[in-house]
Amino acid sequence: MNAIIQCQQLAKRFGSKTVLQQLSFELHQGDVAALIGPNGAGKTTLFSILCGYLPPDSGSARIFGHKAGSSALFGKVAALPQDAQFDPAFSIGEQLDFYGRLQGLSSKAAREESKRVLALVELTEQLQHKAGALSHGMRKRAAIAQAFIGTPQLVLLDEPTAGLDPVNALHIRQLISRLSGEVSFMISSHNIFELEQLCNKVLYLENGQLKQHSSSDNAAQLQYLTLHLEQDNNDAISAALRQLPGLIDLHSAQRRELVLSYNPQHNADFDLAVLQCLAANGWRYRNLTKGQTLEQKLFNPA
Amino acid sequence: MALFITTLKHCGLYAGFELRRLWLTRRGLMTLAATAVLWFFLLRYAIAPASDLIGSEGFQQMFRDAFGAFGLSQLFAWPAPELAIYWILSLMLLPLLCLFFTANQLCSDLERGTLRLLALRSSRLSIVLGRFSGQMLVQSCLILLSLVATLSLAAWREGGLSLAMLNAAAVIAVNLLLVLLPFTALMSCFSAMVRSSRLAVSLAIVSLGLVFVLLSSFVFYFPDFLFLLGYMPGTQVMQLLPMQGWQTLQYALLPLLQTLVLLSSATFLLTRKAL
Repeated sequence: MNAIIQCQQLAKRFGSKTVLQQLSFELHQGDVAALIGPNGAGKTTLFSILCGYLPPDSGSARIFGHKAGSSALFGKVAALPQDAQFDPAFSIGEQLDFYGRLQGLSSKAAREESKRVLALVELTEQLQHKAGALSHGMRKRAAIAQAFIGTPQLVLLDEPTAGLDPVNALHIRQLISRLSGEVSFMISSHNIFELEQLCNKVLYLENGQLKQHSSSDNAAQLQYLTLHLEQDNNDAISAALRQLPGLIDLHSAQRRELVLSYNPQHNADFDLAVLQCLAANGWRYRNLTKGQTLEQKLFNPA
Repeated sequence: MALFITTLKHCGLYAGFELRRLWLTRRGLMTLAATAVLWFFLLRYAIAPASDLIGSEGFQQMFRDAFGAFGLSQLFAWPAPELAIYWILSLMLLPLLCLFFTANQLCSDLERGTLRLLALRSSRLSIVLGRFSGQMLVQSCLILLSLVATLSLAAWREGGLSLAMLNAAAVIAVNLLLVLLPFTALMSCFSAMVRSSRLAVSLAIVSLGLVFVLLSSFVFYFPDFLFLLGYMPGTQVMQLLPMQGWQTLQYALLPLLQTLVLLSSATFLLTRKAL
């Protein structure tokens, strides 16, 4: 499979503080990768290196086989950099036109492209407005729009929905989801729910090191069910569920949430058995989800 | 080759965008208004009265006696006294004004993060050269406007425009742009270093002053190195003052080389800078 991002032994220091340590990973065509980590973990530094804004101290970062930031990547790699703002002197449309022209579009094509990308983030009516006249959320959406000018093959999004209202955050998630077949994404966010919905690969950074590097894998011997009850979990429920054939472990992640691990080879209809057990005892449930949440995988591994 | 063509194309786009900033944005129009006001006062209270004075035979004789040895009496050879005064004033004033006008080539974009959006689409060399070209175009517009005003004043006093006047105006415009080239490139360097245009201006003034003082002290102890002072930006201004006509272009090489060195430094600084 073609690697679109190849990072080898990437390291970066700012003064005496080591921000990235010997980071190595690969992303492949069509991947939607989540970059997760606590504040100061090195996510934005990694993004900056991938965008060519910062040189690494050692190691290499290659995108589509070219050094990060290389002119061969102009138009192929797009990004939503953290806190990057438009020029307040010009309208959003003029600036998007200009970016389109820099990407090689004709004047007319650039104007059409500006309209298209603004429509993607539902900002068509703001074409003539200056950045200063837009709300924070609108400016963020306009900044996301610039990342979709032309036909980028890789889009790096640093906190794409931070500061957006729920409806617009949903629109952005839908947009990423819709484009994810043709475009590869790398998304940094603190919103685990969002990343869980969008991403098939997780890079978990902590203190500049890659702690986990995982892909969705449904073929594992061990599978999970996450059960949300309508009532608080109690010993009777746990005891009943422990009797089910195939169960390996059960733990309560929250007051009304249970995570059950089981072996599908021992009981292929384990989920059905759980529902029958609940129904037989008159215990009501809110939802039953296959697998663990990303939050559980990262921070509360069974 | 393709990279070279793309760089040129991007430079053109950046330069065009800076021209739009001058003519189509509020800040640009304020710059135009400030220039118009400045030149109105210079024309009304300096150039117009001084032209009448220069035109008088008595003053010319006195001036020749006092400054003839410095070659300044050549000023009377300009086809219109207004152009002579414009030549002196602009040669002395514009380099200093240039430091202020062109200080914000990159600072604001660095501070806002707009450069991150641009750097995804064009090389840092294109950004430096494009912004520099844009500033030169903007200054060309301002020089042309002020020259047209001066020519109008001369034409009104003389009762018409002559070919010699137009030729002299072209000489002035070309020379002024040559003088401004290294100063604009110097501000490219400083604006690539800091995130505030005020700081860039302060740094430029302090650096120029400091280099001049250090070089002067050095030359005081080692007079053989006097020629080094001649490499400071703008040193050819004093040699240009008593000159006129296209022979002034004999001093064009130094500012062109200075510009080349300074633009290379600006590109190097921006390439090394974390955006």
